[in-house]
Amino acid sequence: MTASQADLVLRAGARPGGGRHDRRFKYALVAPSIFVLLLIGVFPLVYLLVVSFQNITMTDMDKTFQGLLNYRLLVQDTRMWEALLHTVIFTAVALPIELLLGLAMAQLFIDRLPGRQVFIALLVLPVVVSPIVAGATWSLMFNTRFGPINQIIGWFAGEEVNILWTINPSLVYPAILAAEIWQWTPFMFLLLLAALSGVDKSQLEAAAIDGAGYWRSFFKLVLPAIWPVMAVAILIRGLDLFRLFDIVWALTKGGPGTMTETISIFAYVKGFQQFETSYTAAVALMIIVLLTVVVLLALKRVQLAR
Amino acid sequence: MSDLKITALHKYYGEVHAVKGVDLEIPAGEFTVLVGQSGCGKSTLLRTIAGLETADAGTIEIGGEVVNDHAPRDRDIAMVFQNYALYPYMKVYENIAFGLRARRTPRAEIDAKVRKAAQMLAIDHLLERYPRQLSGGQLQRVAIGRAVVRNARLYLFDEPLSNLDAQLRDEMRGEIKRLHQDLGKTMIYVTHDQIEAMTMADRIVLLREGRIEQQGAPLDLYERPATRYVAGFLGSPTMNFIDASLERGNDALNVRLCDGTSLALPMARTAKLAGREGQRVVLGVRPEHMSRALAGDTRSGLVRYEARIDLVQPTGARTYATFRMGDTEAVAELLAHDVSQPGERIGLAIDMNRVILIDPGSDAVIG
Repeated sequence: MTASQADLVLRAGARPGGGRHDRRFKYALVAPSIFVLLLIGVFPLVYLLVVSFQNITMTDMDKTFQGLLNYRLLVQDTRMWEALLHTVIFTAVALPIELLLGLAMAQLFIDRLPGRQVFIALLVLPVVVSPIVAGATWSLMFNTRFGPINQIIGWFAGEEVNILWTINPSLVYPAILAAEIWQWTPFMFLLLLAALSGVDKSQLEAAAIDGAGYWRSFFKLVLPAIWPVMAVAILIRGLDLFRLFDIVWALTKGGPGTMTETISIFAYVKGFQQFETSYTAAVALMIIVLLTVVVLLALKRVQLAR
Repeated sequence: MSDLKITALHKYYGEVHAVKGVDLEIPAGEFTVLVGQSGCGKSTLLRTIAGLETADAGTIEIGGEVVNDHAPRDRDIAMVFQNYALYPYMKVYENIAFGLRARRTPRAEIDAKVRKAAQMLAIDHLLERYPRQLSGGQLQRVAIGRAVVRNARLYLFDEPLSNLDAQLRDEMRGEIKRLHQDLGKTMIYVTHDQIEAMTMADRIVLLREGRIEQQGAPLDLYERPATRYVAGFLGSPTMNFIDASLERGNDALNVRLCDGTSLALPMARTAKLAGREGQRVVLGVRPEHMSRALAGDTRSGLVRYEARIDLVQPTGARTYATFRMGDTEAVAELLAHDVSQPGERIGLAIDMNRVILIDPGSDAVIG
């Protein structure tokens, strides 16, 4: 075989079936999913952007270009800023508590205890409940006259109590946070339990013999091992908390006044109760931009998006 | 003084009685190998010494102090694990330094000790790497380095070489033994590999079903096993066990196989067997105690056995020949060219000075 013959054989082998046809085929394969993505992802987003530059309300289908009108209103809207602040407060309080509580529970259940499976199943139940149902249930629990919580406190107090859990300004936050933490700590628990059971036991034994105490082992061995899972759990719960709606809606509808209004509730009220469509579009767009920035920063920090 | 003393130790895993009353005393500086089949309790025993398992009964003394209730870190021990158990998120340096840091050793002292240990194990060029960047043999060196740097009273090895390939295993075996000679520390080494046990140990402790079957120097156990189990466990190829009976010969005792052959025992060995004439025994012959019979060989104690070779397995220097002896298959370890092909009939010389006789009822060696 001459050199040029060999060359031909090699070239033919490198591209079986011919190059051009092959390349078109792979685009054909991904085309349907690209189309669906454009339809349900990009189109609404672009349309949202367009609407946010108009001034559509319930009474006025004004489709003329209004420039940054809605955004100017948005920046000046103290109610929006407060809603954003409430959302940040809920997230900043609930997220660390859920994380630490879930981690502690996972540590507790990592050892083989009798009845372990049953307890895990029971503890995970709150996650299975739809948030709006959980909110409604907690609303009943907190009911001033008939709720079991006031009843039980009454037994200890020795007299009937009328604590206004969902109305008293100093109690609404604890009440909402209690319901939120009750429902979502098991989620953290479950993920962290799975992560913890993946930690190599002989490493911990080696550390125990080496003389490391509980905290040194935890920070040097356990935490790095469960960190990828933990980071994802924090991200998921953080995003969930940022769009917190159901539980708050069921318990207080954002009240008293707008004291517990989250950004999601604010957007809902503006869009579907007051029908300020274009203004709501601006709010939604702001939330999207905000979350995208947060997620990108978080992913970069965790280095999951390599 | 003994570094480790174990008295009447018991350990249960639920229903399973893993360690059934072990008494063991290990003098300072000795290299002891705990050997046995998987499930014999050797690893459990080691983990109980380390404090990773709690003893259900009995006492463990390290350096004269009862340590049953001490945490692993307070027992003055260091351990090397089968799967290395290196800390994956730390560099090799930090892995080795971890124990010293946990014990609040001054920084300069840590650095000196880590570098010295690394040098001793020829891993000083790997200190800035992570465990995932190392090969199996390097990982094992780091794991040993992590133990060595601690300067503990007692070193425990839990099957440290079983994850390595054969060649590396031979190499590391030698290194661990040399390490023991250099450091002079008391070491306890668990393995299921009888060759590791034989080559490394000052003393072998052979465990079977949670009990000590026999302990002693490797060659003692090899040459003077107390039971059929010990005789069969040590040595490769394994000892041949042939059913036979004892009968009175012309001037000494004979071992009579069921094919009618009589093998005369040397005079020196008959005294111990007095009164056992007519009894059934099991004859134990090691493959290397059989050789090709030479004309005119008059060494005492050699008896001739005519064998028809069924299977020939050359290994280079030696050839393993399988043949029927009595009612079982036996293997003889011959010189390379003693036998050439199956079906050959040859005369074998059995060294009756070195055979053992076992009581088939109790499995104890009787002579």
